[in-house]
Amino acid sequence: MSSWPAEPKYISHSTARVDAPAKLTGSARYSSDIQEKGWLYGMILRSKWPSAKVTAVNLDKARAIPGIKAVVVAREAEFNVRYYGEEIAAVAGTSKQACLDALRAIEVKAEVRHEFVVNETEALKADSPRVWDNAPNAPTPHVHENGNVDTAFPGCAAVIEGFYTTAVQVHNPMETHGNTVSWTDEGVTAWASTQGITSVRDGLAGALQLDHSKVRVITDFMGGGFGAKFGPGVEGVLAAKLSKAAGAPVRLMLTRFDEALAVGNRPSSFQKIKIGASADGLLQAFDAENYGTAGIGGGADAGGGGGGADIPMPYIYKVPNTRVKQSAVAINAGSARAFRAPGHPPASYGMESAMDDLAAKLAMDPLELRLKNDPSEIRQREYKLGAEKFGWKQKYQKPGSSPGVVKTGIGCAGAAWGGSRGDRNTQGDATINPDGSIEFRLGVQDLGTGTKTVIAVVAAEMLGLKPEQITVRVGDTNFPYGPGSGGSTTCPSVSPTVFDICTKALEQLQTQSGMADVRGENWFAACKKLGVSPLVVHGKWQPGLSTDHACGVQFAEVEVDTETGLVTVKKILGVHDCGLIINQITLESQINGGIISGMGYALYEERVMDDLSGVVLNPNFETYKLPGIADVPDIEIVLINMPERGVIGIGEPATVATAGAIANAVFNAIGVRVSSLPITPAKILAALGKVPPPVHA
Amino acid sequence: MKAFQYATAHSTDSARELVAGNGLYLAGGNDLFGLLKEYLVGADLLVNIKSLPGLNKVEHGKTFWTIGSLVTVAEIEDHAEIKKVFPGLHDAAAEIASQQIRNVATVGGNLAQHSRCWYFRHRDTQCLKKHGDLCYARDGENRYHSLFTGNSCISPVVSSLATTFAALDATAIVLRDGQETRMSMAELYHGAWENPLAHNSLDKGDLILRVEIPTTRTRSAYLQVSDKHAFDWALVSCAAAAAVVDGKLKSPRVALGSISPVPHQVEAANSFLDGKVLDDATATQAADLILKDAKPLEHNAYKVPMAHAIIRRTLLKLKGDA
Repeated sequence: MSSWPAEPKYISHSTARVDAPAKLTGSARYSSDIQEKGWLYGMILRSKWPSAKVTAVNLDKARAIPGIKAVVVAREAEFNVRYYGEEIAAVAGTSKQACLDALRAIEVKAEVRHEFVVNETEALKADSPRVWDNAPNAPTPHVHENGNVDTAFPGCAAVIEGFYTTAVQVHNPMETHGNTVSWTDEGVTAWASTQGITSVRDGLAGALQLDHSKVRVITDFMGGGFGAKFGPGVEGVLAAKLSKAAGAPVRLMLTRFDEALAVGNRPSSFQKIKIGASADGLLQAFDAENYGTAGIGGGADAGGGGGGADIPMPYIYKVPNTRVKQSAVAINAGSARAFRAPGHPPASYGMESAMDDLAAKLAMDPLELRLKNDPSEIRQREYKLGAEKFGWKQKYQKPGSSPGVVKTGIGCAGAAWGGSRGDRNTQGDATINPDGSIEFRLGVQDLGTGTKTVIAVVAAEMLGLKPEQITVRVGDTNFPYGPGSGGSTTCPSVSPTVFDICTKALEQLQTQSGMADVRGENWFAACKKLGVSPLVVHGKWQPGLSTDHACGVQFAEVEVDTETGLVTVKKILGVHDCGLIINQITLESQINGGIISGMGYALYEERVMDDLSGVVLNPNFETYKLPGIADVPDIEIVLINMPERGVIGIGEPATVATAGAIANAVFNAIGVRVSSLPITPAKILAALGKVPPPVHA
Repeated sequence: MKAFQYATAHSTDSARELVAGNGLYLAGGNDLFGLLKEYLVGADLLVNIKSLPGLNKVEHGKTFWTIGSLVTVAEIEDHAEIKKVFPGLHDAAAEIASQQIRNVATVGGNLAQHSRCWYFRHRDTQCLKKHGDLCYARDGENRYHSLFTGNSCISPVVSSLATTFAALDATAIVLRDGQETRMSMAELYHGAWENPLAHNSLDKGDLILRVEIPTTRTRSAYLQVSDKHAFDWALVSCAAAAAVVDGKLKSPRVALGSISPVPHQVEAANSFLDGKVLDDATATQAADLILKDAKPLEHNAYKVPMAHAIIRRTLLKLKGDA
């Protein structure tokens, strides 16, 4: 069985991002920077109605706009639109303004339905308008039962009930969704802003009825996806059709407005939780009902869209008696998509809030309650280590006992992420030149998480070279197959693959050079013996070098102004594990990002829809609020390196516990629960009983 | 946006002539370009007024200061004397948007900016302010809306400079039909109080030339609360200004932003405070008076206790060190 070097020089140390200079100087070309010769702008016309039957789309006037080179419909014949923002047609032209003018010139005939629903609680009601004609908005809840909650609750010493809700969160990567697509007689090339070059290739090939081999997808640099950028999307297929029709490359990047409507989100959750424990704090019974909306995806016959809105309950805890009912409610809104740790942040927020409410009922320190009930040995270690670093014992005071107008509080929460050991079909190759230069090519993509750097670090370690001596190329379907970047699986996919390539490279170089040791200082001499032909080695993922299941706990310290309701996060401490650490600095960067994103989920982010018009009211960063640098606290990261476990991904576990920890810190500060995310000043003041009833004119 | 012509005016007369057709003045453009891009306003001609002489100066006299309408928000923020003489104005400027926006945003543009109501700004809702039939916010998502209004529209004024100028009893000098017209902040926004279609009292072609701030109120303060810690609109803002003689307030004025289509001022509160020594009890009573007739809606009632808190805090800031 293979094993990682025992005393690594680069692995588990910090190597600066290999593409940092390119990113800092602006020479890195992101998908949205691509300007192929003769390229055209592309734009999409979207439904102005939350529900309508489109009967005719007349493109003639749009075609006549100067500069417009192609206009295509999103769907043929009559069709239904089921949310504001659903795609109707697309245009390509020589300027942005020409496209905008063309969009306004497209004539859409539609039978507008005034019956629609954009609020999940309304959609649950029996008399609610239906999103899908042949299916109720909410299918019958599925129920999972273990033991018997009905007999267990009466025996509990403490029981609490809570209703914890979370808002729909929009991915909002800094680079919007989109592609430049060039469709010529030779085939299709797409420069995609994607997390999965292979899934985009296969998706495009399928939609365009082309051989997979005729489609090439390139992603040199991309600006984030968070789970919402796997397939080509409607926008990718439309860009291809426009390119074919116009005979020119088409760059179709969505606008920020578009991002709020049609390219994914994290479902909401409405968690009714009842939980009971014995007097010593051991959990005995858990009874929960949850619903949330995944947009139009929820109620479709086939499941549709981004799947359901289920979350793992009772999350990381083992309770002997449980009953969990869940359902996904369809509303007239864009479908959900995978979003960084799907299901986990709302699950952590709900369950960890219930845990602190239970601890208060038991008059117990909530950390102690966790240590009594958390089945994970790793999290137990992390809680103890974190509590020490954080000064939990010194800082902890009973909920609501902080004096003064501005109150302080602390809280904690735990995370779990299954992930996987990596895609066992991951492959790659390396070309070793007689001059000693070496180039790795893997058909994965770097979302900005540091995948290229991980490859360089592992290769440098294995070959005895420096990371800067390794040339890394990713993001091209012409390279050997690599998986999409989701589920925190890229690092455990590529690290063993590079290990294998390097192992084989060393073996073959030894054979061809006749030298016993070709690593490090002997590398260049050995390569020189290759003569004129480079050595090309192919490798693939190997077992035994990676694993799954990361944990992680986070601690938060907040200040709450009880007169204005403003919450200020003073400190977040994250204690995280991901097996063998490959590169510490990019790992810490991932965790920083996860925590800041979790802060947004806790305090600021919420898609707001209007019941009357059915539109998204905040399709921009003005009112869809994201944490800015002034909101970001002191973040401290403590890592537990576990080389014996092999490589595990970190992307998702990093963002899971933040909202729960912040919500609990707020509860600890003010002594009352704000049971709804985001925790805004308005909700703080309401929880404190300070808000007068509305006046009805 | 719709295509438009562009011209630069070098005198107020030519600016007026140029704008007279279907023209709009362009200074910093922060608000105007957003409105144009969303087709919320249209113009055949944009008249660049950045080259108008004399409007980009801060001048101080004995009894009042003059701030030209082309002075940028960043210039106010960075002005050392303003920070000393009108600390409330400095603090208000420093809270506006981001550094990049403050660098180009002008005083005139800040005062004349249009509603930020998300129904007004949305391209596909035909609200009252856009000649539609109803105010969607009234029974809809009104968390950012007004506690007071004189008409059916509940979108609030969001200019924090206006709030502060109101507390300082500043006067806007507006060029109207070739004549200089003097308008208090109450007058400058009264149109929006009465008319759902209006954002202020300015008529087409009116041009704000400068703002005069009397120096009688030697103390001023400004506070706002937002969801976020920077680069976010105020949920409620408050400015207060007064002279302090023998420890007592003289000519005190309090104004609030983001809770009414106009800078919200209550004369009864101002006269109550006049001659009082500031303490928690007086500040609280003043806040009660200021918010007495608030009509909270379903999602904005939190603004009442929030406003109450920052009225008290802003007033107590007037006590200062001396």
